Amino acid sequence: MTSDQGSREIDLTVTINGMEVRRRVPARLLLSDFIRDEVGLTGTHVGCEHGYCGACTVIADGDAIRSCSTLAVQVDGSDIRTVEDLASDGELTPMQQAFHENHAMQCGFCTAGFLMTLESVDPDDYREPEQVVELLSGNLCRCTGYQNIVKAVCSVWGVEGRRRDSQ
Amino acid sequence: MTVQMKVESPTGINPMIRHRSGHIGSSLPRREDRSPLLGRRRYVADLKLPGMLEVAFVRSPEAHALIRSIDTGPALALPGVHAVYTAADLAEVGSFPHTIQYIRPVDQRPLAEDRVRYVGSPYAAVVAADRYTAEDAAALVSASTEFETLPAVAVLDQALAEDAPRLYDSWPDNRLVDFPAEKPEVTKAFEEADHTFTETYVSQRQTGLPLECRGVVAEDVDGQLTVWSSTQSPHIVRTTIAMMLGIPEPQVRVILPAMGGGFGAKTHQYPEDIVLAWIARKLGRPVRWIEDRFENLVSTVHARDQRHDVEVAYDDDGTIRAVRCAAYCDVGSGEIFMPGTATVFVTAGCITGGYDFPNMEVRPVCVVTNKTPSGAYRGFGTPEGMFVMERIIDRVARLTGADRVELRRRMILQEDQMPYIMHSGGKVDSGSHAKGFERAAALIEQSLARAKARYADDPDVRVGVGYNNYVEPTTPTYHLTTGHWAGYDSATIRVDPDGAVRVALGNTDLGQGAETTAAQLAAEALGVDPDDVTVVMGDTDRAPYGLGAWGSRGAVVMTGSVLMAADRVLVKAREIAAHMLEASSDDVVLADGGFHVAGSGTPKVSWAKVATAAWARTVDLPEGMEPGLEMSGYFEPPDLEHLPGADGKVNAAATWSNGAHAGVVSVRISTGEIRIEDYAVVHDCGTMINPMLIDGQVHGAVAQGIAGAMYEHFQYDPETAQPRFASFMEYLYPTCSEVPEMTVEHFETPAPEQPLGVKGCGEGGTIGPPAVITGAVSDALADLGVDITATPVTPAAVRRAIREAAARGAAS
Repeated sequence: MTSDQGSREIDLTVTINGMEVRRRVPARLLLSDFIRDEVGLTGTHVGCEHGYCGACTVIADGDAIRSCSTLAVQVDGSDIRTVEDLASDGELTPMQQAFHENHAMQCGFCTAGFLMTLESVDPDDYREPEQVVELLSGNLCRCTGYQNIVKAVCSVWGVEGRRRDSQ
Repeated sequence: MTVQMKVESPTGINPMIRHRSGHIGSSLPRREDRSPLLGRRRYVADLKLPGMLEVAFVRSPEAHALIRSIDTGPALALPGVHAVYTAADLAEVGSFPHTIQYIRPVDQRPLAEDRVRYVGSPYAAVVAADRYTAEDAAALVSASTEFETLPAVAVLDQALAEDAPRLYDSWPDNRLVDFPAEKPEVTKAFEEADHTFTETYVSQRQTGLPLECRGVVAEDVDGQLTVWSSTQSPHIVRTTIAMMLGIPEPQVRVILPAMGGGFGAKTHQYPEDIVLAWIARKLGRPVRWIEDRFENLVSTVHARDQRHDVEVAYDDDGTIRAVRCAAYCDVGSGEIFMPGTATVFVTAGCITGGYDFPNMEVRPVCVVTNKTPSGAYRGFGTPEGMFVMERIIDRVARLTGADRVELRRRMILQEDQMPYIMHSGGKVDSGSHAKGFERAAALIEQSLARAKARYADDPDVRVGVGYNNYVEPTTPTYHLTTGHWAGYDSATIRVDPDGAVRVALGNTDLGQGAETTAAQLAAEALGVDPDDVTVVMGDTDRAPYGLGAWGSRGAVVMTGSVLMAADRVLVKAREIAAHMLEASSDDVVLADGGFHVAGSGTPKVSWAKVATAAWARTVDLPEGMEPGLEMSGYFEPPDLEHLPGADGKVNAAATWSNGAHAGVVSVRISTGEIRIEDYAVVHDCGTMINPMLIDGQVHGAVAQGIAGAMYEHFQYDPETAQPRFASFMEYLYPTCSEVPEMTVEHFETPAPEQPLGVKGCGEGGTIGPPAVITGAVSDALADLGVDITATPVTPAAVRRAIREAAARGAAS
């Protein structure tokens, strides 16, 4: 029965944003629910629960992963970073500042996912606007039409922005 | 561009004229940004209350069935399950209201009773210690429910057939509403015209799909109910909960925390709000329900889904004499309040867009089927109508050999026609229709030439251009939508003892930047810095009653209500300051953040000093003056009509924005692949409060319009009415790669009757793309005989159109 599967619990130790967290969790607990409900870091959002929209993106040992389609126990021993870890003492990173200045966010629900995707890559690998667009295409945004997100990223990474009629 | 603003101060003080400090028209960065950037913004799903339980809904897997029995035993036996409720438990709860007399009553219950009419219909609710257990239990309830399957209706024609299975036994057919229309002048035009043609145009079913699904948290403490809900209209939710649960409205508080997008889908009153409120009272424990994406796809309202059967009368020279149109809207099961009927009326009213075209006859028909109820989505009927109108113009151009741009020039609204009364009674108060179109056409001209040159050597690729000239009715009446006799919204301004300003609004923020906008308005009106203005909205206990954010009304109603409240605050503040200055209040002006005697070097009296007198040193007030410095304004927009006149005409929107869209596409014949080479928007929403935010609204709305034109489609099995979608793998939500870089320019033609000339801008961007993309694809493939008549225009649709055109060509 599902309930038997649900009752199995496993010990878990992870580092989240520099803090070690030890918990005994249900084996089926999603990483997104672990981060949000168990650890209380609600900056990571859940938009689709099937790994498509990217709102739940966090960084595990340097790689961007979808926390809604990862089990918490899969990251046992890992170093996890969430959006709450980006700014130090409330001072925005250049990327966060660029999102603000370029109006690259409206409702803000997808923003954390975009920021973590961007945080996980080496900007030197993205020198052309088309490469930036491709990278950003892993995260959905319903509000902005993406135009100002591309603009914000290009401004921080020193990429010449997308031009009209040149795509 | 010069802006001539007609500034009418409701109380006659004209604060904007007295101290224009430049906050209106400034692209002030948003105050809302910081919390999401830091991961600190609170959405409904982020709330956690002590002792909170989780709710999961059990939803119908059947499109149309009778519920024979529900065995809740297995679910209740599951450890961690606290309760399972079905419709029988909620017998004491009222039905959703039926307020609109011209539509048939549906009697929607909070949980389906003995019959389900769409896949996703909620018929039971499980309460458990955690969400995982709640979902396990919901699966057990589902497995323990016996249905008797009924014949399902999935297709419009099937629903309209004489022998169609009926969704509602007491109805004679499946028509929720049918408004026959007949205009003698149209009949006459058909008799006189050189030619006629008939065609059918289809706009598919899609929806708003905010990235944040819906969610509700409810708690009852000592009979005081608090409901946190991701809703665009918290006060309306409060009224509905109080009415349906039969409790006094002051005992209900509805709070919208931050919202992760709404786009119309969250304007409706949903069963989950009612059921969660009821459970919280029943159990005496806080409860939370967070919609998952599958639930969202089947149980949050759908939209569009219209079919237009048109007859067109035209002359040899390309003059379109008249159009007759039966506008069918498939509203799904109809089980939603507000009902999904209003959009097709907006379609009917706005179908002629930015064109002078009086001979339009539209018959709106809403048809129920066994699909998810449909309702509001950004654009609200306008994109569907505009798509039809522009396809008609292009067809007539093709049939007569007229130039497509020239034909539009002949029809487009001119400035000297303002105000222009549309065929429906819509009063287009002002606009830049003709010059906007010229500008958009000019912006795209070079792109067209470049794209043609780029693909000149590739015989598999064709290039085309499409156009749209729309009007966007904003700040509409609520009456034709909900039966409420209102179109107003509200603001309460309080100046605290330290001189800082608090503005509380009945409007809400869905992500569009309403807080920043409201702060700009209040700062301008009171001569203070926007940083000194605190904005409160989305809380029925902290903000005055208001109708919420929908219908592109926020800018207009916030401007009106903030100005009214500010005016009233200013009247009193100036009297206090005058008393302190020992001057007549008529001689006192507000400048540089304080009051002083005009033309004199008298010392300034600060807002802090005035407010301190009002609240904490009443000995400093003029004799007999009432303490306090808090005033409200309830702004009902002028020019707004709530009901049609005897001629059936109505101006259901207070003001009318406009825009011209033009786009260039390339189409690969062998694959049907469409690429948007360029897209230009020339937009006019009157006076702009924050141009940066307006550009953001346009970008996002155009992206959603492109989604509707090319990608998104809720498809159902035509026999069983089972959805053919369950995730974003089947419902194609555009990414950054699908949305082109676009050019956005503005004209600012102020609304003559609205405060500051503001018109509203939330929805306009969605209107153009279906017309523009289908027009451009048809243009690209014109020599193959292709004329697109349905959205979305996917690669498969392009290939099919090419094949069908070839078959037609071979046959003729």
